[in-house]
Amino acid sequence: MADTNTQAVKDQDKPLLTVDNLTVRFAVKRGGMFSKKSYLYAVDDVSFAVKRGETLAIVGESGSGKTTAALAVARLVNAAAGKVDLAGQDFLTLEGEELRQARTKVQFIFQDPYSSLNPRLRAAAVVREPLDSLTTMSAEEKQETIDRLFAEVGLHKEQQHLFPHQFSGGQRQRIGIARALSTQPELIICDEPVSALDVAVQAQVLNLLRRLQENFGLTYLFISHDLGVVQHMCDSVAVMYMGKIVEYGDRLSLFNNPKHPYTIALLSAVPSVDKKRREQMQRIDIPGDPPDPVNLPRGCRFASRCPKVVDKCRESEPELTEINGTHRVACYFS
Amino acid sequence: MKNSHNSPLLKVENLRIELTTRDGVAPVIDDLSLELRAGETLSFVGESGCGKSMTALALMGLLPEKVGRVAKGSICFNGEDLTTASPARLNEIRGNDISMIFQEPMTSLNPVYTIGEQIAEVLRRHRGMNKAAAWQRAIELLDAVRIPNPKNRVSDYPHQLSGGQRQRVMIAIALACEPKILIADEPTTALDVTVQAQIFDLMRDLGRELGTATILITHDMGAVAEMAERMIVMYAGRMAETGPVQQVIDHPRHPYTKGLISCVPHLLAQLTAERPPLAEIDGIVPSLKDFGRDECLFASRCERANEQCRNQRPPEVGFSAGQLSACWQAEDV
Ligand SMILES: Nc1ncnc2c1ncn2[C@@H]1O[C@H](COP(=O)(O)OP(=O)(O)OP(=O)(O)O)[C@@H](O)[C@H]1O
Ligand SMILES: Nc1ncnc2c1ncn2[C@@H]1O[C@H](COP(=O)(O)OP(=O)(O)OP(=O)(O)O)[C@@H](O)[C@H]1O
Ligand SMILES: [Mg+2]
Ligand SMILES: [Mg+2]
Repeated sequence: MADTNTQAVKDQDKPLLTVDNLTVRFAVKRGGMFSKKSYLYAVDDVSFAVKRGETLAIVGESGSGKTTAALAVARLVNAAAGKVDLAGQDFLTLEGEELRQARTKVQFIFQDPYSSLNPRLRAAAVVREPLDSLTTMSAEEKQETIDRLFAEVGLHKEQQHLFPHQFSGGQRQRIGIARALSTQPELIICDEPVSALDVAVQAQVLNLLRRLQENFGLTYLFISHDLGVVQHMCDSVAVMYMGKIVEYGDRLSLFNNPKHPYTIALLSAVPSVDKKRREQMQRIDIPGDPPDPVNLPRGCRFASRCPKVVDKCRESEPELTEINGTHRVACYFS
Repeated sequence: MKNSHNSPLLKVENLRIELTTRDGVAPVIDDLSLELRAGETLSFVGESGCGKSMTALALMGLLPEKVGRVAKGSICFNGEDLTTASPARLNEIRGNDISMIFQEPMTSLNPVYTIGEQIAEVLRRHRGMNKAAAWQRAIELLDAVRIPNPKNRVSDYPHQLSGGQRQRVMIAIALACEPKILIADEPTTALDVTVQAQIFDLMRDLGRELGTATILITHDMGAVAEMAERMIVMYAGRMAETGPVQQVIDHPRHPYTKGLISCVPHLLAQLTAERPPLAEIDGIVPSLKDFGRDECLFASRCERANEQCRNQRPPEVGFSAGQLSACWQAEDV
């Protein structure tokens, strides 16, 4: 008895999701007909873990590989290398019935509530779809589930019969969330879930996501380019730059004590209504553009824009190294 | 120059813009007044559909044809009323004295011309420059908006540039004729924050160096705080509140402004473990057909709303430093 209890406690503490050395590459053609195939490493040897009931945010500039990493975790694009451990299962190698079972545990909420819902399906059917394809529920069970989900995300029962275009942006995102919740997933991947929404609606959706997390112990992988939103939602953060994680830490440590020059520049660039923050914040400029992703430099990928760069940075790439507790940084100066 | 500091560059009085839709005629801008001085930045904020872009288009004389019209009021630029100016005169002013950066940069550049040709075209049309001079100036402008290696990039086509670079080209075009007023409609929404910061720097430099006045339309209160001296909060085609930015942020006098500020998770100077839920503004913006009603259009979403709010449009109540709030209970907010 005591033994099973300690086991349960241990399971609680163990990450729900552990990603090791994940790599995703895309074949790209450059130049003429006879040019050799080269690869763009959209995600390059990336590792992270998310504890049950917590939120890991992935931030970074456009094209840094956030969406690709998330898609690979959910097996929506193929990983070239790496391992994804989901609740103790090696998710990337599962097949058949085991895969179908495991898929119910992971759901996606997409950025654009306008195009991510099938316009020809009524709201109830949109939410029912994953139940049809991933579960063996009876028709009544499905309807009960749909009724419950509509109530949970704050939509009326009558609205089940409407089509997506008859909803506002925030309501559409609620349908997307209800759909993601339908299979009782443990992990929900939110890719820019509020970027297309007005601030007023955004607050409703963010509060809803946190309330659902609390009530159901959900685990989120949360992608956003809005650092204010990330700061509010996350328990820990991975900062990506050109396919690599350059900094990784828990919420307080990363926001109060950022170490990587890219993270520092990123945070310093966010305009703020907080007068105190504006006054004490020194903007760090990172002029120029990131390097060609198909033709990466030998050293640190940030070297060409880094205000602290020295020769060593251009020669070899710094490893992600622990600086304290869980806070890790890939920079020679940390 | 001395004179322009005293009298406003742009003065809008009691402007009413009506749109004709299938549901009838609705005031998309309802009794808007504002002033803009040289070198100053004024921000417009508000939810989607509240009429921000429509205001900008009205100032440019670019209201959607047959659909939108100025029903009342005036737009005075340097003493000249633009609402009665001829199309030819408006054409002259646009791009020359008043320029605009549009909300969608990807669709506003022509894909079949190089960026150099597109900048030079503006200079030749408005400034009468010859081909060589215009091309040379295009390179200088690309340099000014910090496009790296402008001599080579000037011959690039839009698709060869990143999103941030395309937006900088749009700014270069808007600046080509050193306008007196720059209207920037969500100029950085699609861009990374580091790029946004560079573009804001650029716009600030302009104000300082050329005395360009800027109207910045945005939904980001942080950007307003960083960029603008004064702000106008729009709601359903009406001005809900206006005033000096810091004063309005420190003490908003309209419940809608208050909601807009507190419903956003702002980056904090010192983060703590505490994380209360965000404030919410329930409900959504009324639809266009309800814009003209004689009531506070925010009443259905407002905690404070009473009978008066639901039955009569609130007047503008004045506070110090030109802060105005269109709320029946402004003094208590
Ligand atoms: N199917 C694909 N084929 C080729 N390249 C791709 C593909 N999908 C993504 N890429 C490239 O991989 C890189 C990472 O893209 P990804 O969409 O993951 O970035 P992101 O961090 O999500 O960016 P954003 O913030 O703009 O959404 C980019 O260089 C992108 O152009
Ligand atoms: N060409 C048009 N014909 C009819 N109605 C229009 C037209 N353009 C805009 N509208 C309506 O006018 C209102 C104001 O639109 P406007 O584009 O000014 O909003 P906005 O404040 O700029 O919103 P956003 O933040 O989404 O850009 C909206 O209700 C919109 O649907
Ligand atoms: Mg993405
Ligand atoms: Mg607009």
